Amino acid sequence: MVLAERNSDNVRNGRRSRGPSPNGHASDSSSEEEGEKIRVGRDYQAVVPELIPLSERRPDQCGERALLVWSPTAEIPDYKLDEYISLAKEKYGYNGEQALGMLFWHKHDLERAILDLANFTPFPDEWTVEDKVLFEQAFQFHGKSFHRIRQMLPDKSIASLVKYYYSWKKTRSRTSLMDRQARKLAVHREEGSEVGSELGSNTDSDSDEKKWTIHRGIRRKSGSPPRTTQNSDESGSQKDGAEGGKSSCANCGVACTHTHTSPKGSMCNTCYQHWRRTGSVRPTTGPVKRDRHCHVLLRHKRKPPRGMYINHDDLVAMAAGPPAPAPASQGDQMLKAMDREIVSLKRQVQNNKQSLSSFKRKTAEGIDDLRPPDANNRINARWTNDELLLAVQGVRKYGKDFRAIAEVIGTKTEAHLRSFFVNYRRRYNLDAVLKEFEVENGPIVDNDDKEEKMETDGVSSGSEASTPTPGASSPVPVAPGSPPLIKQPFPKTAVGTGLAAK
Amino acid sequence: MSALPHSKKRVCYYYDSDIGNYYYGQGHPMKPHRIRMTHNLLLNYGLYRKMEIYRPHKATADEMTKFHSDDYVRFLRSIRPDNMSEYNKQMQRFNVGEDCPVFDGLYEFCQLSSGGSVAAAVKLNKQASEICINWGGGLHHAKKSEASGFCYVNDIVLGILELLKYHQRVLYIDIDVHHGDGVEEAFYTTDRVMTVSFHKYGEYFPGTGDLRDIGAGKGKYYAVNIPLRDGMDDESYESIFVPIISKVMETFQPSAVVLQCGADSLTGDRLGCFNLTVRGHGKCVEFVKKYGLPFLMVGGGGYTIRNVSRCWTYETSVALGTEIANELPYNDYFEYFGPDFKLHISPSNMANQNTPEYLEKIKTRLFENLRMLPHAPGVQAQAIPEDAVNDSEDDEDKANPDERLTQAALDKRIAPDNEYSDSEDEGEGGRRDQRSFKGRKRPRLDKLDTKQEKQDVDDKVKLEDATKMDTKGESEKDDKTGITEDMKKDSGLNA
Repeated sequence: MVLAERNSDNVRNGRRSRGPSPNGHASDSSSEEEGEKIRVGRDYQAVVPELIPLSERRPDQCGERALLVWSPTAEIPDYKLDEYISLAKEKYGYNGEQALGMLFWHKHDLERAILDLANFTPFPDEWTVEDKVLFEQAFQFHGKSFHRIRQMLPDKSIASLVKYYYSWKKTRSRTSLMDRQARKLAVHREEGSEVGSELGSNTDSDSDEKKWTIHRGIRRKSGSPPRTTQNSDESGSQKDGAEGGKSSCANCGVACTHTHTSPKGSMCNTCYQHWRRTGSVRPTTGPVKRDRHCHVLLRHKRKPPRGMYINHDDLVAMAAGPPAPAPASQGDQMLKAMDREIVSLKRQVQNNKQSLSSFKRKTAEGIDDLRPPDANNRINARWTNDELLLAVQGVRKYGKDFRAIAEVIGTKTEAHLRSFFVNYRRRYNLDAVLKEFEVENGPIVDNDDKEEKMETDGVSSGSEASTPTPGASSPVPVAPGSPPLIKQPFPKTAVGTGLAAK
Repeated sequence: MSALPHSKKRVCYYYDSDIGNYYYGQGHPMKPHRIRMTHNLLLNYGLYRKMEIYRPHKATADEMTKFHSDDYVRFLRSIRPDNMSEYNKQMQRFNVGEDCPVFDGLYEFCQLSSGGSVAAAVKLNKQASEICINWGGGLHHAKKSEASGFCYVNDIVLGILELLKYHQRVLYIDIDVHHGDGVEEAFYTTDRVMTVSFHKYGEYFPGTGDLRDIGAGKGKYYAVNIPLRDGMDDESYESIFVPIISKVMETFQPSAVVLQCGADSLTGDRLGCFNLTVRGHGKCVEFVKKYGLPFLMVGGGGYTIRNVSRCWTYETSVALGTEIANELPYNDYFEYFGPDFKLHISPSNMANQNTPEYLEKIKTRLFENLRMLPHAPGVQAQAIPEDAVNDSEDDEDKANPDERLTQAALDKRIAPDNEYSDSEDEGEGGRRDQRSFKGRKRPRLDKLDTKQEKQDVDDKVKLEDATKMDTKGESEKDDKTGITEDMKKDSGLNA
């Protein structure tokens, strides 16, 4: 399309052409010249209305010219609103806007709105599986020319197509694992055929528009029943030796919960039934024409992409269910329910992230105001009883992160804490306390440990080849031969950064 | 509503759920879907519930012709993709077809976008709200009888016209990366609307927005243009935005403000070439909001849609005075925001070609213009100071040449540096940008010491400029308005 090309050109130059069809460069610049100024005259300026004098203003008489669909309320606290919305979403399939609309309709009466939720069902998803498959095919042919796509889906409006396109587009990233897998397959196919190379080059270009053509083969899963039920004329000669664990089918290699024992090994239900009926092993490849590559494909079939586990029984459950056009087949329902679950989990994840970061921000402001108002917060080497108590609790909480403990106590330095640890180890049974800490937070991987031991066990022993570092308070002791510092106990970072920013 | 704290503003938000479904065409950078993405983010951030939400009516042809010409609106109403061929001639005349394609539902789209802005303006007039937001609006390039730059109906002009019924003076601020030429042109000759536009200038669409375009007739000095170069970052933007807007507020004293929040001035925009972050962009909103005037916020450009929706979501939160987390909530279009799923974006490492000296120069120049304004226009008592101001205008013209000369000399010294960075960053476009700046500046030099510049390039530039001046002169003759004299004097002074 000429238009598209022109547009992309302009886009690259960061400018948009002006004036009717400036074709060549010369005419382009000339039209620019004439367009480069603000024109003055009756044809260009707006007619500015008179200011209505105060006395003649009738603000209440001019219409709103818009429909109020929600207004904020101070009566319902935020969390209640959240509860209400998630109820409407999860139980009744509303979206947030519809839920609030319902509440507003009932004049912010939460109880009545909740009661009324069940009386309305939001528009069902008017896109059937067939529609979706058709859309994808049409999209493959026509790209984003929605009026052409519409010729294949005449009952949809352009608006509906555009809307679906934007929500479908994002789900493509969800199949990225599939993409990768499919790309691998495509590379293999490329070796032998032109079709393969075509597909391969599409992947390379990685253009938004064409990317998805690759996983056509796999994508079908969402629409029609899986390939396993397809019959082909090939014999079952491709049967490989069983390789999987006990809960995988010896024939097709798929993992499943229930297996049936047969002379050919334990098989999944489908293979077993096939064998029983026909006496031959169920062929496991689809209608692949090029025999040469069957093995390659087969092997890939065995191994689904990383992170994905195929369970045969799930597949059967998916495929089973009313064959009728019923949009709510069992499998679909399962998938939908899982999708909903995923979405609500994702929502939670993001919510948690939000609250985490807000807590972080709070701690970044410092914990000064949380500290008891201390008269003597100067650093003091003498230990009061309270401080000793705090220190022990500190060890319980932060392990050997002395800096963190020192920060919390406030009147002691890290060095003080170290000597406290050495001096009071016995008296307060700090080792037991430390163990408690380790049970909760995992073992302390810290160089300090080793060093500490050397010191307390007596410098003279010198059992290790390394020379003990003098001065227990050196912040990062380097003991040759010991593993590098990999892990720090978590609270140290949290508190440490918090106070550093103060 | 009385329960709301005083510091919080009452915010009204205009949105129609259909607006995201309009599609300009394959490969077209303008995507109304970004408005729906913004909406969905607002919903999931919980900002939606803090505002009054309105679904605007569709603006009628009658309302549109308050600004636009009858035949243009009639044309927009009747054209469809399937009858385009019958309208060839009109399409040329109204500049529809290329950048502004005919798409399915075009007229409805215009109706929704302008319906929102008009309804918002009415709301402000009724004093029923302090801040109104219409992200579907902000189509600032549309002219009286001409589409331009993805804009067909100028909802901003329609909104301002509505505001003018109740407000003596309305201020329009435009932070889109493109010059707000449609709005400026519509109010070029009136002193009741001041248009202030910050934009990239020099070999850039739409080509208008020179520092020296200051309005005409009664509207002289009521158009303020801040031409900028590539790579504006948050800091530079604030350094020019804050003083200029402060000065404008002080001298113009508007009673209502319209802010066009075009998000193509953000870093990484598909069409834009600035380097602003969402925070820097939002600072402008924050600053304008502080004045506490009736405030209409509209959308505009913005072609990297994930950033557009980030930006407008953040700016809605600024309008509400609510802090929102940097982590995006889960939403219908969550996957668009990967890989970081954060609200805020980081600037790129592109070079900022706006030196502090350059910005300073623009600022001084604009301050001089703003000094020409009578304080609070329309107030009689200002007549005497006005004379004094006129005197100083003359003085200034005597004084200015020196200053400009030194500045020009300075520029000359800087030039090679810029040229290097141009070729690195932008290739051809950047260099042309540089040249066109020179082209506009040199002629002033020529007048003062003509014989010094003998390079071929400069001769060419001179020629270009001469032709430009000619066309300017001609069109002035065409206009039989009383302002011709004024304009001539003006262009004489400038060139």
